[in-house]
Amino acid sequence: MQVRRPASSLGVRRRRERTARGSFFILAALPLFLAMAILLALLFRSWPILKTRPLWNLLTDKIWLPSQDQFGFYPFIAGTLWVTVVAMILAVPPCLLTAIYLVEYARPRLRAFMKPLLDLLAAIPSVVYGVWGMLTIVPLVQAIGPGVGKLLGFIPLFSSENPTGFSILAGSIVLAVMVAPFIIAVTYEVLHAVPDGYREASLAVGATKWQTVKYAVLPKTLTGITAGVVLGASRALGETMAVLMVVGNVPKVPSSIFDPAYPLPALIANNYGEMLSIPLYDAALLTAALILLVIVLAFNILSTLLLRRIAMRAKG
Amino acid sequence: MDKIYRFGLIPLLVFVLIFPFSACSQKSSTQPTGQLEGTITISGAFALYPMMQRWAEEFQKSNPNVEFDISAGGAGKGMADAIAGAVDIGMVSRDVSAEEEAQGAYWVAVTKDAVFPTVNAQNPVLQFLLTNGIKKDVFIGIYITGEIKTWGQVASQPEITDEIHVYTRSDSCGAADVWAKYLDNKKQENLLGIGVSGDPGLLDAVLKDPLGIGYNNLNYAFDTTTGKAVAGTAVIPIDENENGQADPNEVIDNKAEAVDIVANGIYPSPPARLLNLVTKGKPSGLTQAFIQWILTDGQQYCAEAGYVALTQEQQEASLQKIR
Repeated sequence: MQVRRPASSLGVRRRRERTARGSFFILAALPLFLAMAILLALLFRSWPILKTRPLWNLLTDKIWLPSQDQFGFYPFIAGTLWVTVVAMILAVPPCLLTAIYLVEYARPRLRAFMKPLLDLLAAIPSVVYGVWGMLTIVPLVQAIGPGVGKLLGFIPLFSSENPTGFSILAGSIVLAVMVAPFIIAVTYEVLHAVPDGYREASLAVGATKWQTVKYAVLPKTLTGITAGVVLGASRALGETMAVLMVVGNVPKVPSSIFDPAYPLPALIANNYGEMLSIPLYDAALLTAALILLVIVLAFNILSTLLLRRIAMRAKG
Repeated sequence: MDKIYRFGLIPLLVFVLIFPFSACSQKSSTQPTGQLEGTITISGAFALYPMMQRWAEEFQKSNPNVEFDISAGGAGKGMADAIAGAVDIGMVSRDVSAEEEAQGAYWVAVTKDAVFPTVNAQNPVLQFLLTNGIKKDVFIGIYITGEIKTWGQVASQPEITDEIHVYTRSDSCGAADVWAKYLDNKKQENLLGIGVSGDPGLLDAVLKDPLGIGYNNLNYAFDTTTGKAVAGTAVIPIDENENGQADPNEVIDNKAEAVDIVANGIYPSPPARLLNLVTKGKPSGLTQAFIQWILTDGQQYCAEAGYVALTQEQQEASLQKIR
């Protein structure tokens, strides 16, 4: 038998409301605290190296020989940026076109078939991408490297001095494929959200489909697409395993897309076990983690600011 | 519906939550009857991994209640895991440094193997390499100073201008450490070349690249079934006595010969080296019993698994250390 309790008094309900609000706030604030805690922990552990040498030297020195007490992070920072930038250059245009095609041109049946397939790409573990990269992309880059080098070698960006195929280009191709599902998914949703009224109005005045996309749909979605690209780039910055397996891992500042590189996440993953035998090595690796975190944070903050400006201009 | 919740779901949840832990609760206990039981967790060097699997298998035959959890991830990982207490035993295929000992690493040598230089079977000067071997200075030119850039330079045939594609390990590991040590007492960070992750990964890179050169642990350089160098690659003799040719006892045709020349000291050391097990502090209980078994009964399996058993003195010294 159930006894129905009388409705709570106003005071009880108010107290409950306050508790609920308080606990939700704590949960919502937790990620922020976590980020701060990680930052502080990294700062604390990298302090032994940060206090003995100026930050500027650590960031700009080019020589990495820990057993000779030389810790230059510049090759790794450059490697991270190179791989990410080239990956984004490769990934963004095809991803945008794919999303536009799926939303604006594709028949519903094709769309229903393609969309889950693209999402599936996001679920493949990164080590599988790495193996695929080693098996197919590295030999491919090895095959095209000399040809491109001969043809375009007068541009330093394309000069080919590393004949092995383990290179920035190989890492970037693998990365581009990895981040593609994210960029496509976000762009797809953003394009999808544009009200049909815009398209109808544009078509009604005689615009072709492409003109409609170009002048009516895309301008409305600039913010959303930028957000998708930022998401993809953030992922690319931190991706470890797949890149590590194909990028060559040579701590030298690259100058061409055919050069090997050594991104920060690969440095940490390759050497974290070995930290014990050399003084300051542990601190150096955690400094690498700290630098990576700061790069990702700075990138995200900058892009948020940029997004806000775009949104403001679109409104104003 | 209510019933399912009360009597079905909650016990299921409890079971799911507790199950993963129940496996660990019966760790490392020696029963009074002398029957060993428990789980031994092991991680580390690729070089020791195949041997350790064999030992675990044999040990289990006489101690069926002992479970093993073995993973390969490089010597650096084995060392870090052992010191952090994440595993019972770390496999370390290099010397243990004083800093590591200061952090509680306790090590014993259990067997011996070596690192061998490997090239692709389509190497342009393969015949020269196999009949003449490569001298240490040439390896230094390839791997440390970078002065030797073409296969023609290696074979003193300047008309051959094919570049040498140098590969090395990217993950911190004993093989790279001992290979660098052989090349003028250098460190892994001094080795030139494209960094590839893992022993199998490095072999694969050389396998795919006709101009490639790499180095592998004995058990990865030779095929386990045929005993020859892995198809598509060749193991290059080291011209240790520097007479400009690979003498009959320097040539390595198969795994058995490789084991032989490491055992009788013809193959230089480094790149031959003792392989160590590391524990956090002196081992005790089940871990100690297992290591002791490795050093006594376990030694008989070394040769067939492609390793070199310890000499009498080394065996005595290791046993002394864990008792």
